[in-house]
Amino acid sequence: MNGVIAGISYRALLGRRRIWLLVLLPAVLLALAVLLRVIGADGERATVELMRTFAIGIMLPLLGLIAGTGVIAPEIDDGTVIHLLAKPISRPVIAQTKFLVAASVVALFATVPTFLAAYLLIGLESGVASGFALAALVGGVAYAAVFMLLGVITRHAVTIGIAYAVIWEGLVGNLVPGARRFSVQQWAQTVADQVSSSFFLSTEIALGFAATALLVVTVGAVAWAGLRLRSFSLTGDE
Amino acid sequence: MSDLPASPPGGPVNPVPHGSGPRGPAGPVGVIHDIGYRHYDGPRLGRGPATVALAVHTLRGVFGLGRPARSKIIPFALFGIMMLPAVVSIAVMAMVQQRAMEYTPYATIMQPVLAIFLASQSPYAVAPDLRFRVLPLYLSRPVGLWDYVGAKLAAMAVAMFTLLAVPLTVLYVGELLVDMPGPPQTSEYLAGMAGAVGYAVLLASLGVAIASFTPRRGLGVASVIALYLLASGVSTVVAAVMESVNDYAAAGWAWLINPFFLVDAAIPVGLFGTEPAAPGAYPTGVGVAAAIVLMLALIALSMVALIARYRKAASR
Repeated sequence: MNGVIAGISYRALLGRRRIWLLVLLPAVLLALAVLLRVIGADGERATVELMRTFAIGIMLPLLGLIAGTGVIAPEIDDGTVIHLLAKPISRPVIAQTKFLVAASVVALFATVPTFLAAYLLIGLESGVASGFALAALVGGVAYAAVFMLLGVITRHAVTIGIAYAVIWEGLVGNLVPGARRFSVQQWAQTVADQVSSSFFLSTEIALGFAATALLVVTVGAVAWAGLRLRSFSLTGDE
Repeated sequence: MSDLPASPPGGPVNPVPHGSGPRGPAGPVGVIHDIGYRHYDGPRLGRGPATVALAVHTLRGVFGLGRPARSKIIPFALFGIMMLPAVVSIAVMAMVQQRAMEYTPYATIMQPVLAIFLASQSPYAVAPDLRFRVLPLYLSRPVGLWDYVGAKLAAMAVAMFTLLAVPLTVLYVGELLVDMPGPPQTSEYLAGMAGAVGYAVLLASLGVAIASFTPRRGLGVASVIALYLLASGVSTVVAAVMESVNDYAAAGWAWLINPFFLVDAAIPVGLFGTEPAAPGAYPTGVGVAAAIVLMLALIALSMVALIARYRKAASR
């Protein structure tokens, strides 16, 4: 953890236009929750559906993508990362610091609105709010790590990231049951299912597998990003 | 060549005043040194061909042609995915004489792929010029602001149209070759192609307009896909909620939040009377006119936003 790098990364993430996307996504979730409340469709089932499809299915990967790639990809893109890498700071420490920044931003922008939206609809009933808030936290941290690694590996990190989130987790995950075992969203939902006692939330992955996978993916991605930065070469790509 | 300079290139540089216009009597006088570069004396084609050249260059770039091999992977991989249902459907038609894929729902079924293509490629069309601030260079030529924006939009629209029209046409040709029982679905094919024009123009306008607001490619990609996923997610959630309280008219309107279903409601369903591709029905009667107006309004709004954005970018 390096304070100066963390400060620079926070400023890059929150100081420019990026912040508007980071605010827009939770704002839409809260607006939908208010709409459901006003219409009177605020049952437990509707809440679980909203959380599952929108909060975990759409908002979380997008937040992870914007924050995860946002901490490092722009610097690599415009070449200023060379000033960072030229400093006598351990590269794994740089990767860990960037990851902590991305993870804290995703945690803040995903966990709090998720909890608020569920609380607005059904209060603390059967642990839905706290379950999905915890799911958003662990899923968001894993997404931040994976997408930061992608940002270090390739210049097309955002495109590959959305292809993973939309095509693999969305399309393939809905059709092929086996693909669900390799989906951050599904692992996060398993965690939510464990906390909440709601009947409307059922997952098919064992908690042991999901928790292990989340841990391995997060730690592995950060470690790999550190290794990758150690032998980083700045090559032009058009 | 008649107008090669008298002094050999690289020879002693004598300032040769260009032309013999009126000069001030005293003070520093500007001169253009002719240091022996060859002049262009071919035809100057002017504004129209310049705009076409810009559009073709952008269109090639959208598919990664003329760029490094790495830039070709994503557009062609997505194009391949778009072709898959057509190929599979032809195989199914040939083997068991059944249609696996219809023409008009093709775009809405493949909408994530189209959206990813739009998101990943429309920033390419606009971001580099904004980022390296080369816009004044373009605008110092006969190409004007409207030509520039029009060329970029046209290139993106043609790319999106290609992405949709090629699989549809392959599917149709395959259907004719397989010789399915019953008449060929020519009217469905034409409705699908008309819809493809609508998808191409609306999606290209929205994508390029959103992408033009940031000079960073990564953020542009994220913004376009985020807005698409938000629109489709909100549309699905609101429609499901409205159906759960038995308000089917409101649910029909909710589908129109998704730009893909908006075009589907406006062109194939509204003008050609095909089956809706959304899970529910669209609003009928005034709803069709509203969908068409809404679609055109979104296109116009995107263009206004683009022009405003480029006015500002060009003045810096």
